[in-house]
Amino acid sequence: MSDVAVQAYRASPRRLAFLASALVIALLPLVLTGSYWQTNLTVCAINVLLALGLDFILGYAGQLNLGQSAFYGLGAYVSTLLVTRLGAPFWIAFAAGVAFAGLAGMILALFAVRLRGHYLAIASLGFAVIIHQILLNWISLTQGPLGIYGIAPPPALALPGLPEIDFRNPVALFYLVAGFALLTYFILDQLVRSPIGETLIAIREDDVSASSLGINAAAWKVFAFGVGAAVGGAAGCFYASFVGTLVPDAFFITESFTILSMVIVGGMGTLIGPAMGAILLTLLPELLRGIGDLRLVVYGAALTLVVLFMPGGLVQAARLVRDRLMRRTAP
Amino acid sequence: MSATIVAQQAINGIVLGSLYVLVALGLTLIYGVLVQINFAHADFVTLGAFAAYFLMHLTGASYLASIGAALGVGALLGWAINLTIFAPLRHKGSELLPLIATIGVSTMMQNAMLAWFGPVPYAFETPYSQQVYRVAGTFFTLQSVIIIAVSGATIAALYAFMKFTFLGKALRAVAQDRETAALMGINPNHLIMLTIVISSALAGMAGAMLAPVLVLTPFAGTSVIVKAFAIVIIGGFGNVEGTILAGLLVGLIESFTTQFLDPGLIDIVVFGLLLAMLAFRPTGLVSERREENV
Repeated sequence: MSDVAVQAYRASPRRLAFLASALVIALLPLVLTGSYWQTNLTVCAINVLLALGLDFILGYAGQLNLGQSAFYGLGAYVSTLLVTRLGAPFWIAFAAGVAFAGLAGMILALFAVRLRGHYLAIASLGFAVIIHQILLNWISLTQGPLGIYGIAPPPALALPGLPEIDFRNPVALFYLVAGFALLTYFILDQLVRSPIGETLIAIREDDVSASSLGINAAAWKVFAFGVGAAVGGAAGCFYASFVGTLVPDAFFITESFTILSMVIVGGMGTLIGPAMGAILLTLLPELLRGIGDLRLVVYGAALTLVVLFMPGGLVQAARLVRDRLMRRTAP
Repeated sequence: MSATIVAQQAINGIVLGSLYVLVALGLTLIYGVLVQINFAHADFVTLGAFAAYFLMHLTGASYLASIGAALGVGALLGWAINLTIFAPLRHKGSELLPLIATIGVSTMMQNAMLAWFGPVPYAFETPYSQQVYRVAGTFFTLQSVIIIAVSGATIAALYAFMKFTFLGKALRAVAQDRETAALMGINPNHLIMLTIVISSALAGMAGAMLAPVLVLTPFAGTSVIVKAFAIVIIGGFGNVEGTILAGLLVGLIESFTTQFLDPGLIDIVVFGLLLAMLAFRPTGLVSERREENV
């Protein structure tokens, strides 16, 4: 065993899990070769980011947000327009796209401060409808339904002592997006296990009681929306440079439902669940390609059945399996 | 801008608005008794439209008969979704789970319709769209007269049912306090079932009347339902009078935005109004005591 692995093992099983995830990410494109799989892997990484962002708002802060597609679209369009219109460098545009999405999230949070449950759900849905319609109708800026074509991938990265990394290579782009997703997971994991996470969960469980304990629930809701929306915005920036084309319909409200499904099927209020849910629901329609048009019918049925019979999602299923195995091995 | 144009757009807006009222009333009734949102309501509208289309074009049935059939299809769908989704999930006490489950049902229905009916829009023509009347410079078709008459009668009947019949009063009692209503010998399960069936029947029937106006594809209901959501919020969730007012208002906004601004701005104006309402008057146009969500 190498020194690094030994140290990681001594440190904690959690760190080991991160190391293992990094290893899996590094090996995946080498095992699953061919452009079909490499495309799917990158889509998985983008969807993991989207699901993590929504889960932070919905699963931890308990805010019923149906507007994640808007943050996704804002990140994509703001970063792309800064590059194509103003010639901004990619990473500056990326930072601006993320910041803009985060800011939009904080603005939507101002509604979350006053509204709860279904009212917030409809308000955020309305927000997503408005953003989609603006992207569709502000033709002089976004080119509307015609879309923006030929978006360049991130510029090549020259690290000292290493060969230049060219993101026109799909494997390099996958490493970039998946690496960013893993980093986001790591940061969010630290965040939710810190007192901040406990504060958010207190607000989720009962924001009146939380307020009575001196927690500024309004400020923390704004914070949660800001972080979750910014992560969604980052996914949008990567989406634009990965696909190379932007049309408003990629950010229609049904995209919000898809992201929500990933969070629910995985198990909201955990991070590993939505990440796994995102991967599963990205690959499921691909695996079901054999049944043609009916594959999305199966997808919808799967979502409904999960809610009816396994409302805690994959995480609940994993716990059930683990408990059963433990019971069997116990004397 | 002449007075005739304004009058013409007012007529168009009210015709459209009365159909939005039918769709939104269903949502608001379900919310009233169940405090749940049915996302598949959109697809009940679409399937109602397709049912009417196929009845008319395959069997040569009259348009009015096909509206009746769409109503029946909607009622059947309502019965089914209560049986499979709302009833089993009611005791879990989550506002999120039924919402997600109905999103799943909606995905299922849309794609099943896509597989059967294909993505190409259907041209839903009724014999009444060609018969045009002219009164004081404004035009309206027999079709719009039928829409106003049928939806007006339905809304009036529903209103009278809620206000004056025993069943309607029982229904409002369940909406106010399910436990107390149950203590008075009202079976809430039956009334919740009845509400969902009535609401879905309204959606199906609205579908048959919206179909000639909409681009009839498997996804047609979605554009209607997002406006219906805006209407129930603007009118005040669970509030029948507010929903009727807000529905007509949204119909008028749509026709006047099309005339004087740009059709592309309709949703922006409607949802801008929605967000403004939520920011300044979150209990809706017609206030009620229901404030636990605000």
